[in-house]
Amino acid sequence: MKRWLFALPAVLMVALFVLIPYLNIAVMSFRTPSATAIYGPGFTIENYTRVLTDSLYLGLLKDTLLFAVATTSICLVVGFPVAFHLARTNSRWRGLLYAGVLSPLLTGVVIRCFGWIVLLANNGLINQLLGLAGLGPYRLMYNPVGVTIALVHVFLPFMILPIMNSVQSIDPRLGEAARTLGASRARSFARVLLPLSMPGIQSGVILVFVLSASAYIIPMLLGGGQVSTMPTVVVQQLMGSLLWPFGATLALVLSLTALALVGLFGALTRRSMRGVA
Amino acid sequence: MSRLTIQGLSKAFGNVAAVHEIDLDVAEGEFVSLLGPSGCGKTTTLRCVAGLEEPTSGRILFGEKDVTRLPTEDRMIGMVFQSYALFPHMKVRDNIGFGLAMRGVRGSEADKRVAKVLDIVQLKGLEERYPRALSGGQQQRVALARALVTEPALLLLDEPLANLDARLRDEMRFFIRSLQRRLGITTLYVTHDQSESMIMSDRIVVMFGGRIHQIGGPEDIYYRPATGEVANFIGQANMIQATVVESRDGVATVESACGRFSCATGRPLVAGSRVTAMVRPEALRLVNGADRSAFSGQIVARHFLGSTVDYRIVLADGTLISVHALGGNASQTGGRVSVEVDPSKAWLLQ
Repeated sequence: MKRWLFALPAVLMVALFVLIPYLNIAVMSFRTPSATAIYGPGFTIENYTRVLTDSLYLGLLKDTLLFAVATTSICLVVGFPVAFHLARTNSRWRGLLYAGVLSPLLTGVVIRCFGWIVLLANNGLINQLLGLAGLGPYRLMYNPVGVTIALVHVFLPFMILPIMNSVQSIDPRLGEAARTLGASRARSFARVLLPLSMPGIQSGVILVFVLSASAYIIPMLLGGGQVSTMPTVVVQQLMGSLLWPFGATLALVLSLTALALVGLFGALTRRSMRGVA
Repeated sequence: MSRLTIQGLSKAFGNVAAVHEIDLDVAEGEFVSLLGPSGCGKTTTLRCVAGLEEPTSGRILFGEKDVTRLPTEDRMIGMVFQSYALFPHMKVRDNIGFGLAMRGVRGSEADKRVAKVLDIVQLKGLEERYPRALSGGQQQRVALARALVTEPALLLLDEPLANLDARLRDEMRFFIRSLQRRLGITTLYVTHDQSESMIMSDRIVVMFGGRIHQIGGPEDIYYRPATGEVANFIGQANMIQATVVESRDGVATVESACGRFSCATGRPLVAGSRVTAMVRPEALRLVNGADRSAFSGQIVARHFLGSTVDYRIVLADGTLISVHALGGNASQTGGRVSVEVDPSKAWLLQ
């Protein structure tokens, strides 16, 4: 048996379900539109010039990436302390806390979105409670706020888990050693613990960024048609307007921009990863 | 350099007392070991001194200064951990320079001090390496250099040699000890290895169950242990039940089931009281023929140890004792022998 044969099923899966569809989309994005078929005859770069020059689509791309950046930042700020605590705690509630972190993954994303709608609606639980205190009602959904809240909730575990993994592999003595060498708690964290948890932070950031940039159901349900992102518009193009070539172009532009940003992030954090990973 | 004073130190984790009412004085420049089995509270004591654990009660003083509530980073200590705890994302130079940077020493002054301490621990030329590219012994030296470079008032070592192989451990014992002497730095050293503590220490603190059983020089601890636990923990000990016949001037004559012999003692004893005599295997001698001051028994096992031979002998009353005789003694398993006690090295336990 050759060892590479063991990798064959995985390679076939990737080729079949990732590479070929992407190639298909790439080719599709250069097709001409047609009213009667999926695409018309010949090839064109018209789709790209339209996406890259029309301020509507550039604004859409910017909004989508802003959602992703905001979601990622909030997840990082909220998730890091949780991950750190979970990695270090000896509490007997540890298992319960762990289950709590994973719980967003236990139900489907649609169900969770409806959960948020119940909470965030104008006459929802939160506004009713605020009403008791004489506040509101505030518009918490069908706008970017609601979408961001739901994105954070759904993707938070993808930030917490990799960071927790990273922190768990750090010898707790390292922080103590830094303290004995004259570092305050804050400096010991900044100079030792934070750099050593960078591999986890990096994975978490990339995962949450990519997932939230490509999220469709959440902006769809909690945006209620008032919030547009690249994925919602792509689906509109495909399902509504039946403009497959243009939809493919939008999807590809989003993918490539996200990929470029991930690459940039990787390059920027590489220096701080030296000697760690 | 400073004196270390521990007064009535206790530390409890929940309901479990890890350290109970410990008093200890370490003189300037002294090397003191905390010795005991795992869970005896030695590491907890060290961590309290470092400020990594907060004592439940008691005081810790560096010189005249009460540091009990002082945060670790302000205590001016150097500490070496069992796992070395080198920062994996920093080169050797930055690991050692870390303490200097935290104390505001930077630039050429820092470089000079890093170079000097690397010279002391004989690691010149490894500045640019990452810790994972070093051997265990080299990592140990880096950890030592990192702890010493800030010229701390107190050096704390937590089982620093436990992860090294036997040969390197022997070498590092002498290295650390001579370095400590040269620098004259007050040192508290935690170990569970009794020979390590005897080789290295000015004084040894023997701990069991969170309490100090004895503080003394290596020879005190070895030949004049305060308790049975200490006697058994430090090397091999023969315990012989006996009755005091007479006692004066620190020497007691005792009668045991297998003979009468004299023993050193640290306290006055009343004739007729029951005592336990502790005799080290090498303080016993095999003799041929019967003698009034000797026990007789039968050799049940013989182990060759190199420089000595270990004989296991069952005495008349069934007590099993161990005798270390110099090699070349021809006594064989099953033979009957007499055993003579060196009275200057026999000791009555409290």
